[in-house]
Amino acid sequence: MTVHLPPLAEAGVTLTELPPAARFSLRLRPANRKAAAKGLGVALPERVGGIAEGKGRRALCLGPDEWQIDAAPGDTPDLPADLPHALVEITDREITFRIEGPRAMELLSIGIARDLRRLVPGTGCRTAFDGISAVLVREGEVAFTLAVWRSFAPHVRGVLEVGLRELASGL
Amino acid sequence: MTAFRIPGKGRIDHARPVRFTFDGRVVEGRAGDTVASALLANGIHLMGRSFKYHRPRGAVTAGSEEPNALIRTARGRGRAEPNTRATMQEIHESLAAESQNRWPALAFDVGAINDGLYMLFSAGFYYKTFMWPRSFWDRVYEPLIRRAAGLGRAPTDPDPDLYASRNLHCDVLVVGGGPAGLAAALAAARTGAEVVLVDEQAEIGGTLLSEPHLVIDGQPAWDWLAAALAELGAMPNVRLMPRTTAIGYYHQNMVGLCQRLTDHLADPPADAPRERLWRVRAGQVVLAQGAIEKPLVFDGNDRPGVMLSGAAQTFLHRFGVRVGRRAVVVTTHDSAWHTAFDLAAAGVRIAAIVDLRPGVDGALTARAAALGIEGLTGHTVTDTRGRLRVSGVRVNPVADGRVGPGRIVPCDALLMCGGWTPSLHLFSHTRGTLAWDEASGAFLPDRKTEACQIAGAGRGLWGVAAALEDGAKAGAEAAAAIGRATAPGTFAVQGDRPGTGLVVRELPTDADPGRAKAFVDFQNDVTAKDIRLAVREGMRSIEHVKRYTTTGMATDQGKLSNINGLMIAADALDRPAPEVGLTTFRPPYTPTSFGALAGYRRDGHFEVTRKTPIDPWAEAQGAVFEPVALWRRARYFPRPGEDMDAAVARECRAVRTGVGMFDASTLGKIEVVGPDAVTFLERMYTNPWAKLGVGRCRYGLLLGEDGFIRDDGVIGRLAPDRFHVTTTTGGAARVLSVMEDYLQTEWPDLDVWLTSTSEQWAVVAVQGPKARALLAPFVQGLDLSEAAFPHMSVAECTVAGFPARLFRVSFTGELGFEVNVPARHGRALWETLWQAGQAHGIAAYGTEAMHLLRAEKGFIIVGQDTDGTVTPQDAGLSWAIGKAKPDFVGKRSLVRPDIVAPGRKQLVGLLTEDPDVVLEEGAQIVADPRQPVPMRMIGHVTSSYRSGALGRSIALALVEGGHGRMGETLHVPMPGKTHAVRVTGVTFYDPEGARLKGEEVPA
Repeated sequence: MTVHLPPLAEAGVTLTELPPAARFSLRLRPANRKAAAKGLGVALPERVGGIAEGKGRRALCLGPDEWQIDAAPGDTPDLPADLPHALVEITDREITFRIEGPRAMELLSIGIARDLRRLVPGTGCRTAFDGISAVLVREGEVAFTLAVWRSFAPHVRGVLEVGLRELASGL
Repeated sequence: MTAFRIPGKGRIDHARPVRFTFDGRVVEGRAGDTVASALLANGIHLMGRSFKYHRPRGAVTAGSEEPNALIRTARGRGRAEPNTRATMQEIHESLAAESQNRWPALAFDVGAINDGLYMLFSAGFYYKTFMWPRSFWDRVYEPLIRRAAGLGRAPTDPDPDLYASRNLHCDVLVVGGGPAGLAAALAAARTGAEVVLVDEQAEIGGTLLSEPHLVIDGQPAWDWLAAALAELGAMPNVRLMPRTTAIGYYHQNMVGLCQRLTDHLADPPADAPRERLWRVRAGQVVLAQGAIEKPLVFDGNDRPGVMLSGAAQTFLHRFGVRVGRRAVVVTTHDSAWHTAFDLAAAGVRIAAIVDLRPGVDGALTARAAALGIEGLTGHTVTDTRGRLRVSGVRVNPVADGRVGPGRIVPCDALLMCGGWTPSLHLFSHTRGTLAWDEASGAFLPDRKTEACQIAGAGRGLWGVAAALEDGAKAGAEAAAAIGRATAPGTFAVQGDRPGTGLVVRELPTDADPGRAKAFVDFQNDVTAKDIRLAVREGMRSIEHVKRYTTTGMATDQGKLSNINGLMIAADALDRPAPEVGLTTFRPPYTPTSFGALAGYRRDGHFEVTRKTPIDPWAEAQGAVFEPVALWRRARYFPRPGEDMDAAVARECRAVRTGVGMFDASTLGKIEVVGPDAVTFLERMYTNPWAKLGVGRCRYGLLLGEDGFIRDDGVIGRLAPDRFHVTTTTGGAARVLSVMEDYLQTEWPDLDVWLTSTSEQWAVVAVQGPKARALLAPFVQGLDLSEAAFPHMSVAECTVAGFPARLFRVSFTGELGFEVNVPARHGRALWETLWQAGQAHGIAAYGTEAMHLLRAEKGFIIVGQDTDGTVTPQDAGLSWAIGKAKPDFVGKRSLVRPDIVAPGRKQLVGLLTEDPDVVLEEGAQIVADPRQPVPMRMIGHVTSSYRSGALGRSIALALVEGGHGRMGETLHVPMPGKTHAVRVTGVTFYDPEGARLKGEEVPA
């Protein structure tokens, strides 16, 4: 279900809708972070925005007690029942876009107010795109993923497409 | 080459002629011209008519402060803009420009009759003239004023242009690309700081563009400018933005910029936005906005051909245009003398330099004498001649405060200079304070509220050398403030023209000042005598004078007029200027298009419209939608020929007699998980949860601290520590944030976490006696029988091959299920059930049928049958309160005296005496229809429908003491008739609840 837009090479950036894999929201007290990480097979970063990977899973810290866990399709993490936590699947809640290219940051700046240059590659954050709550990850120097709730995705995609044409226009 | 263009002079491209039209006539300019410079090059000064008196007007400035030369610009359908400043609009081959506020023609305008009637239009005339007779206001005066008000015609076609927005962060934002701004940008950029330099003009350079004679660091000014721009342009940490206006300065160093992208292009690229709004967050802001020249106030100072001396200098040096053949200069500041010398050198005959000051710098008078220019110090100007263009000026000597006899000096241009006003608009936006500087007769920046530096003429400095040095210092200070210390550079400037001036009110005159048309505010046609009249009529504060006379209230926000107006008002009040005060500047700095402010928020992106995964199916079926919060929901599914009532009746019939399906995906869902989940729900909701078994559901009621109903929904227990909470569609976000608020601030000790799953699940409601028959064949891993899966059960299973959470719940009173599947499968599930349902006569039903079905059962809709003042008791929901619970949100409020007092409005059913009458929702209810008007209203109708199942109308209502009025007859006045109604309980249909069981599936 990857949607590629018509070639907009001039825009210097591509917009792709990623197929759903598996995504979970993990909540637990900071004191239980390390114990939970052992069960998950991936470290739970302490610093908000931090990302860790392991065992095919990826953990993004979104708050002192909140992590987004990304996994392969069908992979459901399991944590010890005696460890107080909440693990809730949100795979279908969200649509994730990949925005990649030399002008990716410029494209995102049409809807995101924060200083994207200060988002270090390999970190992420919860932010807003055009007023819509979103999780942004800087996957690489010029590559980002932007996840929004499903029903907001058409609006976000539409605005990004206008932005792509704007970049391609050269002005 | 035209008569007024000087070959080879200026920064325009003499080799590239550009044709555009002005009032339908083809005008030829050169690439780089503005409309104003191109018209002036063709000897055209008359560019518009004034607002009130329809007086002929020409360009008085060469910049964005222009009050007179406002034109309509257009390029094809929908692309038209009124009140474009001719001094800012660059010409191109697709440009059609038109003058405004004239009929039938610019040179002959019937509205100019107002000019002869000027005595009628004095300050505050509209407060006085149109008072009597009173009856004339609505039919005569107001329509007349509305037609006369405003300049230009608003475009009526939709705007086909695109508008863009960006966010930008930088270390240092420099506003203004004159010498101070350039020096600041260079100083800051050389430290490696990220610098953005904006200038509203097409070319960066500011005053340097108009002073090519200067030599800076050994280079001619324009070479120095080119080198500076090349250096800045080559730095990766610098962004140069010409044609970009800083329109507003907001909190925490956010500055709004409006960038003009295509208005200067004959053939803009496809998909290019016309303008782009930038929201810049800067570590430091350097304001280098320069100064704006002040007009002089004298009789006839508004004729075409009368302009600011600095404007004439700009038209000469930047555009190679002589503004006339024979000019007179009138001034109180040295700078105009230099303009006169430059014009003389370019072949303009300077008939005289009139300076009010009795003595000026000997070097100036000597230079004038050497050039054969008559220097008239200690002289004033008392009148001008000419109609559509100035033809002469009356000059009189002034000595000992007395004005001597005048003589007419013929001229075709009159250049005036009353000194310079530091441009502090953006600084004023920050609420930075200004202090009056007696020496310069100007307000200067005082206390700062934001991280900004003010440099150059903007803080009262004069001369390019001073501006460069001050700019470099400001740039270095800005860099130092962000941790990049540097030493500001120095500049060697030759040919600088230091100068001083005198701040004056109206020029002295020997004529009756009461008859003088000495304009202070050109755009709003306010004269000096209007301001004096306002003071005579009791206005004391400049804010009152402003509003009474409208001076400074035009779109230029008094850039030219404010200080003159203040000086005249202060004189009339006999008080010092700072005591009379200065009005506040507000964003935007210059008029800004709605398009730029709206950005991408137009058409389909005007507002977010949330759609469910099943929405495309509904659309394909021809559903009629309604907005619910940000969602759009299918309201009903009309078949050909059906109106809403017919469609809803059919949909309801299917649910009551067979089976119907409904897209309930928009319901809010919150997964409450953790060892303390049940404790948390006990505290949040009124109901008891501790004994709710796994696999069971319960209706939950949520109150505020005040005890009033906030939200409701079914909550299912999936595991001892996991609940699936549903909320209303519109309440989803609010409920989650209220819960988070309690959890984080009141009960941080609880081990429970909340996750929004509203969009994780698509929800298909299957309701009706045949619901089980339809659904059972698709369900795996669950026995759907009444015994195994009774009403208010929940289970995880597989439905049509999709993992599902299956609820047995009913908002219709029929046997009902709600199937939750991961959202991506929602449409497939829907279509599978739809196909299978055909055998059962299935109907898809929308929100309207859903509302009717629940009303027949007396189920409330929060927000429709409640209004934020309804308690559980009022709504008849006392059964939902866990009586044994020690506490829950709102519990204590439920025993407040007012909450338990008799006479509260309570939810009841109403049945009209005439079963065919459907009451209006919102209609008021009275006990006795014969009482005198105004009647005492004892309640209102909250829900009202025609019920097919009952064969009559039904209604829910909030009525004072309603629960004690069962069987009473009340009255509902509606247009045309008052209807008698009988008070009943709220459950109209199947009060025993027998239908919840539906039909068993034959084994």
